[in-house]
Amino acid sequence: MVVVAQEQQATWIRNFNPLVPTSARWPTSAGVYEPLYIFNEATGEWVPWLATDSSWSEDATELRFEIRQGVRWSDGQPFTAEDVAFTFNMMKEVPGADLGGVWGFLESVVAGETQVTFTFQRPYVSGLQAISQQAILPEHIWSSIESPLLEQNPDPVGTGPFTEVSTFRGQVFQLDKNPYYWQELEVEALRFPALSSNDQASIALIRGELDWAGIFVPAVERTYLARDENYQAWFPTQGGTIFLYANTQVEPLDNPKVREALSLAIDRQRLVEVAMYNYTTPSRPTALSDGYSDWEDSSLKGWTDFDAQRAGELLDQAGLKKGKDGMRTLPDGSELTLSITSPAGWSDWVRAVQVIAGDLRNIGLDVQVKGYDFSAWYERVGRGDFELSLGWSEQGPSPVPMYKALMDPSAVVKVGEPSFRNWHRYGSEKAAPLFAAFDATPDPLEQARIVNALQQIFVDEVPAIPLFPAPAWGEANHTHITGFPSAQDPYAPLSPNAVPACLLVMTRLEAK
Amino acid sequence: MKAAAGWLARRLGFYVIAAIVAVVLNFLIPRLMPGDPASVLFARFQGDLDPEAIEGLRKTFGLQDAPLHEQFYSYISALAHGDLGLSVAYFPTPVSEVLGEGLMWTGLLAGGAVLISFVLGSSLGALAAWKKGGPLDTVLPPLLAFLGAFPYFWLAMLAAWVFGFQLDWFPLRHAYADNLAPSFSWPFIQSVISHAFLPALTMVLVSLGGWLLAMRNTMIGVLGAEHVRYAQARGLTPRRILVHYAARNALLPNVAGFGMALGFVLSGALLTEVVFSYPGTGLLLLTAVRGQDYPLLQGLFLAITFAVLSANWLVDVVTVALDPRTRT
Repeated sequence: MVVVAQEQQATWIRNFNPLVPTSARWPTSAGVYEPLYIFNEATGEWVPWLATDSSWSEDATELRFEIRQGVRWSDGQPFTAEDVAFTFNMMKEVPGADLGGVWGFLESVVAGETQVTFTFQRPYVSGLQAISQQAILPEHIWSSIESPLLEQNPDPVGTGPFTEVSTFRGQVFQLDKNPYYWQELEVEALRFPALSSNDQASIALIRGELDWAGIFVPAVERTYLARDENYQAWFPTQGGTIFLYANTQVEPLDNPKVREALSLAIDRQRLVEVAMYNYTTPSRPTALSDGYSDWEDSSLKGWTDFDAQRAGELLDQAGLKKGKDGMRTLPDGSELTLSITSPAGWSDWVRAVQVIAGDLRNIGLDVQVKGYDFSAWYERVGRGDFELSLGWSEQGPSPVPMYKALMDPSAVVKVGEPSFRNWHRYGSEKAAPLFAAFDATPDPLEQARIVNALQQIFVDEVPAIPLFPAPAWGEANHTHITGFPSAQDPYAPLSPNAVPACLLVMTRLEAK
Repeated sequence: MKAAAGWLARRLGFYVIAAIVAVVLNFLIPRLMPGDPASVLFARFQGDLDPEAIEGLRKTFGLQDAPLHEQFYSYISALAHGDLGLSVAYFPTPVSEVLGEGLMWTGLLAGGAVLISFVLGSSLGALAAWKKGGPLDTVLPPLLAFLGAFPYFWLAMLAAWVFGFQLDWFPLRHAYADNLAPSFSWPFIQSVISHAFLPALTMVLVSLGGWLLAMRNTMIGVLGAEHVRYAQARGLTPRRILVHYAARNALLPNVAGFGMALGFVLSGALLTEVVFSYPGTGLLLLTAVRGQDYPLLQGLFLAITFAVLSANWLVDVVTVALDPRTRT
């Protein structure tokens, strides 16, 4: 039995509906149910799961999946290509279930004998990600459910490794293994105690009550690892990047030279030391984390290195001259005050904005730190009602989703209207045709060329300021369970927060 | 007796009006707060969500911008059917289901703590006043006032750290051991008691001083009153005078306070539940506020309101029983 802490909940509510991932219990979409393919962030590979193979048509308008044979649902029924087609066609009828927005580019989904064919409205290579990571539902159960989004699905039937709810109480629940699972399983069950906060989870972790967790632990060497040689922590930085977003609709942040100056003024080495306990490193100029090093154009250099003097020169050139008090003013001589925001409860981010504000004051910018409650903060950045703010980036198997969110003109929304990406309101006319070209070509060489061009545009136009790759929190306790990935054996991310890659770990764990 | 019934009826009328006002405010206040619950929900996806899907979800949640009067109408008619709506944070679970278990645990923990604190504090206060200047009277009031002055969460965290984490005498979280299924067996009851001990102890410690001081001070006044002297003159036993003549009268202000304290049980245990991860309504309230879960917030506030009002009604009944003046 593996004791896991991933969600922070005061009380468990019995919900295993993968169509409403915000309220479904964590193992639902990857654990009870499974996707066709799993993107492994640790190795950068696509792992065939419920599908065994996939192929594109020449013109990238048709994607065909070969369905794995011999897989059974946890009630014993065989899993077929029809189940896959059913899942996607249901998402067409229930738009709220289509979280990846696949019907924005899909034309039809048709099941064959052992194959499923996805036809696209236009060439769209990026669609592979949204399609292949979707949890597949059994047709023989869900076809008779009238409102799929309102279903709590208390006794799920899935193809995943852990499907049998053997205990469910407010404080704890347990999933036993699927009797019909298509792979060998070495652990009997996953168990989930309800831990309401980071503090509670940390205490349980330190006391050895947890086998597997994905939480932020401050000073992990001293507080956790030093207590027991069986304790392991691995915080790889291969996923997304944390950015300083500058609202490009606000003077003087509309000037790319000013944004470049902000970037040069930040001492990232000190930033990761003070705010992130050295769990991560300063960002690369391209904002790409280690997970994307194959895509990276390493000839791009410079603008993310700390150089306060050069930053000052750039600001002088932009007309932001220093006044008598040493603080800079706008070109017309009026006062210049910028605010930098972050959610108030996120202690690592709060420390980060304080360090950044200090660095910017050093080059003569009057920067004030403002913390908001998460929802108020999110509302503000979404509406574009901010000047500077910390924020995350989008992730995907290629760097394109990140760059798209950063500078695709079609993602730009007017200030005042809520937006879930591109908070800084920046669109690059030069990048737009590249995004379209990327989606139209399955050729890896051509894709690499396009991503190289995007990196150049990112560095030239400075849509946002990359700070550091975001660590993926993962802790394990080897006292009772072995087989966790580690820096020495990085077969998958250790963090249970990596969904659906956590399936790769679940199926490899062994009881001692 | 008739006068008492009329008085109770008037009080009941007042509570009904208060309840109506509460129901209306309960509808308005969450809607006047800034922020949009849908965006909070979607924020958890950290960008992995398409705008089309967001619109679809908005519709499912009923978060479209209907005019306020229409929202109010549907709120009232649902409420009349006992339907508190679907929780946003735990969508699509009904609010009543989310609330259920939490109400029970909070009622048990905080209700028990308030009751213990009230009984113990009032008794000690009565005794302290009876032996005014005695050892009990010199030591307890300053000591308890000192303890009550600590910020509550600090005391609770200290207790959790020392007795839970370092000494391992008491469990650090939850209402019972995770490996036990709820039942009326001795091991389960034992587990519930050991889990409630630390949280209840800290709640009693900080509130005991208030009850004790209030009781002691009123008691001293009552002990000097004519009817007590008359009782002494008649040669009644000191015990009878203490209980029936002095304490009964001195208890009245404390009983009124008890009604208030009992009413606030459902909300007041928030810090305790956060520190000890106790699965009650306080933790739910925190989740609801953080997630801007309007339906859950409304359900909680409604439960708290009705708890305060019914506790006060009960206190009125007790007052009638204790105080003959209300019966004339």
